[in-house]
Amino acid sequence: MSILSPAAREVIIAFADDEHLMGQQHTEWIGVAPFLEEDLAFASIGQDELGHAALLFEVIVGSDDAPIDAIAFFRDADDWRSCTLVECTLQDWGDTLVRHWLYDAAEELRWQLFADSSVQALADLAVRAESEERFHRRHADALLDALLTVDDAAGRLQSALGRLLPMALAMFEGVDGETDAVAEGVISAPFASCAEAWKQRVTDRFGAQDWASIAAEPSANRTTRHGDFASMLDRIREVLDLDRSAVW
Amino acid sequence: MTIYEVFLKKDGRDEFRHAGALDAADDELAIIAARECYVRRGEGDRVWVVARDAIITADPGFFAPNADKPHRHHSGEAVAARRKQIREQLKIAEEDQ
Repeated sequence: MSILSPAAREVIIAFADDEHLMGQQHTEWIGVAPFLEEDLAFASIGQDELGHAALLFEVIVGSDDAPIDAIAFFRDADDWRSCTLVECTLQDWGDTLVRHWLYDAAEELRWQLFADSSVQALADLAVRAESEERFHRRHADALLDALLTVDDAAGRLQSALGRLLPMALAMFEGVDGETDAVAEGVISAPFASCAEAWKQRVTDRFGAQDWASIAAEPSANRTTRHGDFASMLDRIREVLDLDRSAVW
Repeated sequence: MTIYEVFLKKDGRDEFRHAGALDAADDELAIIAARECYVRRGEGDRVWVVARDAIITADPGFFAPNADKPHRHHSGEAVAARRKQIREQLKIAEEDQ
């Protein structure tokens, strides 16, 4: 593979970790989403996000399975660069749906940062991901269109939004060396550059928000982990840990 | 929730075939659910999703009387069976003479 600078690697890992954990969170709803059709659709969207993560890890380590497993499953918690929004485990379907919308609204903007990347594989991946993301957004919007017109559902979704916004803002947290990655052309601007456009989308979708009073949960450039992270990592590794030398 | 019926085919091949049914809150969610429930593995790229209530039908009693009209079967089987029966009757009649 091309030789990536430490800064480029850090930025790609941050996005890959977000995609990986968002996919993991979504797929954990298989079998327990509110009805069968949604169960299938939501798990399928989760699979797409896992696919994006795998392709981003591939940009970093090449296409062999073993190194991808090492980076995707066997890093220490301190070496992950995911954000709190994707690390927290949500128990409520309403919260989960709002997170799906918030994440995918940002994901479109974040992929656009890689559209003209100096790393050609990332630019190619941005095109491919968008072809799937269009569907993800249509899915989230269709559900919200249906539910936001029902009083009880709208109330639950709005309170979910209130709980999630501080964590969602952490999506725009950068990583150490991000300015170097921008200078190298790996990414066209820092993640934070997407925040204003995303806030406008949130306002258009859910109504006016008092943004000045909502602070992103601090994550020290994505180096600290949410309280739910450890148990999630255990679940991800559950089968692998039975026998790490097993060949599939 | 509304029940929808899903039909699909591949472009330029075959005819639309019934794939199954699904529940959805509205038309937009129905087309999204159809994509995930019935064409996850590329089973088709032309899809019709129809609310079951929009399908025009009638009781089986309305259609059943047509089952008893062999002259409308154009496969020739009924005619062939009848000719065979007549031939055999003639043969028996000749042997009896």
